[in-house]
Amino acid sequence: MRSVLLGGAIGLFAAITAVRAGDDAPTAIDSELAASGRAVYRQHCADCHGARGEGARAWRQRDAHGELPAPPHDSQGHTWRHSDPMLDRIVAQGWRDPFNKTERLSMPAFAGTLTPQEIRSIIAYLKTLWTPEQRQFQREESQRQSLSPAAR
Amino acid sequence: MTATLQYKVGVFLALIATFMVAGAAAGAAEKIVALTFDREANTLFLARAHELYRSNDEGRGWTKISLPPSVQGNAIAAVAASAKRKDMLYLAGPGFGVLRSSDNGRKWVARNDGLPSRDVVALAAHADQPDTLYAYVPGKGAFRSQDAGVSWKWMDGGPREGIGQLIHSNMPGSMQSGWLFAATPNGVSRSMDCFCLWQDAGVLAAAVDAVSYDPREPRHVYAATADGFFLSTDGGEQWTRISMPASRITALVISPSGTVFAGTADGGLYRSTDEAKSWERMDA
Repeated sequence: MRSVLLGGAIGLFAAITAVRAGDDAPTAIDSELAASGRAVYRQHCADCHGARGEGARAWRQRDAHGELPAPPHDSQGHTWRHSDPMLDRIVAQGWRDPFNKTERLSMPAFAGTLTPQEIRSIIAYLKTLWTPEQRQFQREESQRQSLSPAAR
Repeated sequence: MTATLQYKVGVFLALIATFMVAGAAAGAAEKIVALTFDREANTLFLARAHELYRSNDEGRGWTKISLPPSVQGNAIAAVAASAKRKDMLYLAGPGFGVLRSSDNGRKWVARNDGLPSRDVVALAAHADQPDTLYAYVPGKGAFRSQDAGVSWKWMDGGPREGIGQLIHSNMPGSMQSGWLFAATPNGVSRSMDCFCLWQDAGVLAAAVDAVSYDPREPRHVYAATADGFFLSTDGGEQWTRISMPASRITALVISPSGTVFAGTADGGLYRSTDEAKSWERMDA
């Protein structure tokens, strides 16, 4: 078990290092923030979104309640398409798929559970799961939204 | 050349001329391929494969818009009007890609930077954002421009079945700013405009020729198939068959006042002011 954890830590460090070394500054990630975010993610997010952000099985298929299972957060999912403010808002406030046949939120709200800093750390960690192209896209989305409040 | 042969050639040429004249006349009844509404200018646009018209009185009178040479020899597939930017109009079609006019169709400029080819078959303007557009290139995917077509960015591969026609809607509930509805060979496909996931919008197991929505009530979505005309009042989950004009609908748009305009395969334009309960044929 210890070797698995150690291997995971080395893997995360390697991934973050690669992100920082392999990319230009625009897609660099705050490695300290991402490391703390990984711990928060494992505690609060991994049960639904998978230990490595792989998402639930058959996440593209609605269940009997019309709900979509938790999507991946890695490069196979769509998290990277959302800007930082939007990801922050979705984690904090939750989100309900309008075609969900139940009244409950599709994504629970974590504002009462996580601090704003913890939410930011999770988002920083998720960025280590994306390709450089996806990080670049997401950075541009974040910049665009910060420049255009009307687009939020 | 013998007199008989000369006669036969003459008859042949006369027949060709007759067919050409008849064809030109029939051109007036050529299929309507696209309809769109410029809300800022209160102008309805109608496109046939090689012609574009505008109407400032909800389809009673029409003015032909001249097209640039790049469209000649190609066919128009889509027309889109910019939200909140009066007289900003876009044309798209295989062969010429995307054209933009900022003066109500007097002058056209190609806007294809970032697209993989000019084989654009579908184009939609964002319902609220004046400079945001969506285009679809078969085999390549869906593209977005946020600078009025100056540059395009690949978003995703689009629905599995491909896209024949595309609209953007400001129906509530999106993670981002709205929704995309695509007419496909197997029903309507729907995605939030973050391009998070294309999903079947209910069950319309037929080729969809046209899709549109009511801007007064964005959950009301209309879809025309070879099998009939359908309305969904819940954003595309359930569809109810509604009445339609005599001919197959090939283009749709709903005006800000709720008038449904339907262009048909036989070139007719129809309108309904009672949510498709009854139809009136217009001259177009």
